[in-house]
Amino acid sequence: MTRAKRSVLPGFGLTLGLTLAYLSIVVLIPLSTVFLKSAGMGPADFARVAFSERAVAAYRLSFGAALAAAAVNAVFGMLVAWVLVRYRFIGRRFVSAIVDLPFALPTAVAGIALTALWAADGWIGQYLAPLGIKVAYTSLGVTIALVFVGLPFVVRSVEPVLEDVGRDLEEAAASLGAGRFTIFRRVILPAIGPALLTGFALAFARGVGEYGSVIFIAGNLPYKTEIAPLLIVTQLEQYDYAGATAIATVMLLLAFAMLLAVNLTQVWRRRRMER
Amino acid sequence: MGITVTGVAKTFGSFAALHGIDLDAQPGEFLALLGPSGSGKTTLLRIIAGLEFPDAGTVAFDNEDVTGRPVSERGVGFVFQQYALFRHMTIADNIAFGLTVRPRRDRPAKAEIARRVDELLDLVQLPGLGGRYPAQLSGGQRQRVALARALAVEPRFLLLDEPFGALDAKVRKDLRRWLRGLHDRLGLTSIFVTHDQEEALELADRVVVMDHGVIEQVAPPADIYDRPASAFVFGFVGESNCLPVTVRAGRAWHHDIDLGAAEAPDGPANAWFRPHDVVADDTGIPATVLLARPKNGLTRIEAQVAGIDKPFEADLATAPAVGATVHLRPFRFRIFPA
Repeated sequence: MTRAKRSVLPGFGLTLGLTLAYLSIVVLIPLSTVFLKSAGMGPADFARVAFSERAVAAYRLSFGAALAAAAVNAVFGMLVAWVLVRYRFIGRRFVSAIVDLPFALPTAVAGIALTALWAADGWIGQYLAPLGIKVAYTSLGVTIALVFVGLPFVVRSVEPVLEDVGRDLEEAAASLGAGRFTIFRRVILPAIGPALLTGFALAFARGVGEYGSVIFIAGNLPYKTEIAPLLIVTQLEQYDYAGATAIATVMLLLAFAMLLAVNLTQVWRRRRMER
Repeated sequence: MGITVTGVAKTFGSFAALHGIDLDAQPGEFLALLGPSGSGKTTLLRIIAGLEFPDAGTVAFDNEDVTGRPVSERGVGFVFQQYALFRHMTIADNIAFGLTVRPRRDRPAKAEIARRVDELLDLVQLPGLGGRYPAQLSGGQRQRVALARALAVEPRFLLLDEPFGALDAKVRKDLRRWLRGLHDRLGLTSIFVTHDQEEALELADRVVVMDHGVIEQVAPPADIYDRPASAFVFGFVGESNCLPVTVRAGRAWHHDIDLGAAEAPDGPANAWFRPHDVVADDTGIPATVLLARPKNGLTRIEAQVAGIDKPFEADLATAPAVGATVHLRPFRFRIFPA
């Protein structure tokens, strides 16, 4: 007879059970219905809908713009986190609060505001139009909307880790003769790397699924500025549930593959450092 | 030669951390900066390193003014209290860091770097641990890695900020003895900061006692203990008692008790003395025994003297009963202004 290992932490069985049940109800069951729904159509029909030229263009835009926006946020979000952690200045808490605004704002509001700014006759757009740069109703506009909604993810992921890196690591590197860029590349970046990657992945995932803020600024031209979530909504409006779920399935698999890759990178990194 | 600090002052906001510090470290010397927290000792060390810059005054290395030079160009080895090792690098990569960040033309070849790392690992008695990560080492081992990393760049001076502060007592003791041996072998001019007087007295050639941003005394350990330059030094280093006295015609009086000769101007003053410089004597100062316990073959007592808040400590040959009255007479004391 084996005895269960005793632990001071109570209720592993109970909490794990609750965790799994909760995840199932909230995440897994809804997602699996997507697969079930789309499984209703034959493989040929599925391929025809999910890989139609229009759908492929939409995937390309959604994933491409989300990647670009996440990359922009990785750079500038890190900068914002850096300033918030390293310097004490008047209005720091105010700046910190501004960072979270994209979380709080209804995304449609953000979309309308962004369109007003970047349209050819908008505040910023009017200065870009003579230069031949069009932002609203192009893929650039889509990217800008995704940058907006993704910013908090990077800042909030990097901030605590940067706090933890501490000034003395930078000072130690400097005392050993390293210049500023070397310190950043060899000391700070590796230390905040995992957090940065997490923030990047979250911003990316949010960008892929983003709908509200994008549809106003995108213009929604099929093959050009139509994002995949919009295509799904379009299918739904035509009562083509199977078609909608087919596209959703492809998106789900792509997003899952990318998030899994990010997580595996983290695991590999951590194993290398074997705490 | 060595390190020369002249008239260094530093203010943080409205807090004056250092007031006009003058200090020099001779070549090959092991200097301790000792003081309570807030005394400015760490600020002074960081200014010498180039991690902070003074508002006034100069820092010179071997007679060369380096005041405006940043830490990366000063050629000092700096060891931090919390080790500050790069967690994502192996021990070997940590030690090699200072060599690998050099511009290509000054950078030693890979094989040469590897040889230096092995040499340094031997020096700090961690041979074969080059492939580990910092998280896999104990505190004492990490601090030795930090030392090897600082030594790898062949610094002109070694600066250590509370190097044993994060270690437990036993490791602390072993490591500081080892560090003293290493210093003697390398002959590197070194300055370390500590708030632990025992550490400063055991390790340093000279001890710099600091308080409130000024240097109270610079002297070899024995002089710091036996001939403190101020009441602060007497009180901070070692155990002490302080007794208000009046000096009249070259003698110190506590009320109507004559304590002995005192070289001080007439007037009120304080007599400072160590617990081991006290005997029980019928003509001494009456005190009520609060506590008596054995210590080093003698009896350490705490006794209350009328009119003085802090109980006196004294080491006596015989053990009095708690509550009894003893008469205490310091046979060696120093007079400082009240």
